[in-house]
Amino acid sequence: MTRSLSAQAGLALITALLLIAIYGPIGVTVAGAFLPMKGGIIQSFTPSLAAFEKLSTDAGLIRSLVVTLAVGVVATMIAVMLATALALFSTERGGTHARVVTLIVFLPFVMPPMVTGLSLLIFFRDVGIDRSLLTVTIGHVAIILAIAYRGIAVRLTDLGRSQIEASLDLGASRWQTFHRVILPNITGSLAASALLCFALSFDETLVTLLLTGTESTFPIKLWGMTRLGITPAANAILAILLALTLAGSALAIGLRRRSQP
Amino acid sequence: MTRLAKFGRPASSVLIYAVLSALIILPFLSFLAMSFFSMDGVTINRTPTMLNFYRAVTDPVMMTVFWRTVLLCGAIALVTTLIAYPVAVFIDGLQGVARYVMLTAITAPLILSYVMKIYAFRSILGGNGILNRMLLATGILDAPSNFFVFNLNAVFLVLVVLLAPFAILPILLSLEKIPASLSEAAADLSASRWTAFRTVTLPLSRPGIATALSFTFIMSIGDFVTPQMVGGPNGFTFGRIIYSQFGLAFNWPFGAALGVLMAAVIVIVLAMAMRLGRVPGGAAR
Repeated sequence: MTRSLSAQAGLALITALLLIAIYGPIGVTVAGAFLPMKGGIIQSFTPSLAAFEKLSTDAGLIRSLVVTLAVGVVATMIAVMLATALALFSTERGGTHARVVTLIVFLPFVMPPMVTGLSLLIFFRDVGIDRSLLTVTIGHVAIILAIAYRGIAVRLTDLGRSQIEASLDLGASRWQTFHRVILPNITGSLAASALLCFALSFDETLVTLLLTGTESTFPIKLWGMTRLGITPAANAILAILLALTLAGSALAIGLRRRSQP
Repeated sequence: MTRLAKFGRPASSVLIYAVLSALIILPFLSFLAMSFFSMDGVTINRTPTMLNFYRAVTDPVMMTVFWRTVLLCGAIALVTTLIAYPVAVFIDGLQGVARYVMLTAITAPLILSYVMKIYAFRSILGGNGILNRMLLATGILDAPSNFFVFNLNAVFLVLVVLLAPFAILPILLSLEKIPASLSEAAADLSASRWTAFRTVTLPLSRPGIATALSFTFIMSIGDFVTPQMVGGPNGFTFGRIIYSQFGLAFNWPFGAALGVLMAAVIVIVLAMAMRLGRVPGGAAR
């Protein structure tokens, strides 16, 4: 439907204002990587790469980044595998089983991270598991499981039963059917779910804050820094991450355009 | 049943529910159980009691903060959705590259660190912050304003901006599902553009509006990092109080009871959202 020019201009104006509000803080963050800042206030406008040099020698910061990557990769792998099993189970059984599994899986996702995080904190204490990167990873799995489960379950439902039934009727074992028929059909949604899970895990702050032991992930390191002031090296990391994200998005848009005639 | 029903049957039910219990159900039950315990000095007394809940609902300070937080988060949900709706309509009207670019512009900030974004807001909102200095420089203000300096107004503003993408996406998804033919039919039947929007598009996008409202409400009520960072000493919210019970105040049972109250509010909000999300006229889409 065509819109009047004034309506379109009004919508564009609201969108532009929101984008300014969203990108303002991001601009300040990026500026902090290149300009000297004190307590979040820009001190002068002579750009330098000093922050990036400091970053290469800041072992604690780099370590937190490695820890975050490791937790993210492990939690994502566990979540995607578990979600695949759960999605197969609920699409195949249907009915009450499917509803119950979906309800349980979505519980930690629908509840605010604080409620989920505190539940895990109390549970770990009850069973005598000390806070460590293990508890953080389990917490991340609990939170991101719903995302992976939804993506995979939707794909499995679309796939339908006929191919799987055909495979089983032709004498393939259950494992062969999974390996040769189901898996190739859900690879796309597995990859998409894994990417989303990793992104969520990478910036998870609230649950991690409650479950972490002595070792901290990057968001927790940042949270600790906020009291004394975030160092330019941290700004440098975020500037690099932002550049990578935008480059990745641009690439994805480019690929999509090429695939669409 | 076909052979499909047998696919993966042996022991799988037991295994599936065992994993779900260990990962999700038992933690939530521990949480619920904790709310009925009490503190004996520094140890937890596991004799069930309702005292935590009694204390929570009779303590005037606690209740003031509770209702103030519910009100604040309701306002955040409402304003965020009101801003997100026109933006979603705008993006829905775009085509080709422009649409992808706008979608990326809205979603890319989600990847950037939450803590960092709130921290950056501090340098914008503070008394000597960028916003105040810009308003002074342009002559809009004569003296720095304290309106957004580390109080609940600042929490409100920061959360509205940070949560906006989460409200835009579900609304956009529900707008995308509405067939263009419906609006065209309305136009053919000589409805004005505004009437067509009000009677066709708006009611059919109700599921997206409901998701946006409930999601932003839940995300803001459960947040304790934002109030801690930009709320200042007076910007106390319910989330901050719960968090403090597990830290300095060290009263896990009382903290858990407050958490159960918060979860109850969320269940009510979700039920309201489900009602609101139903498309009028019956037929599920």
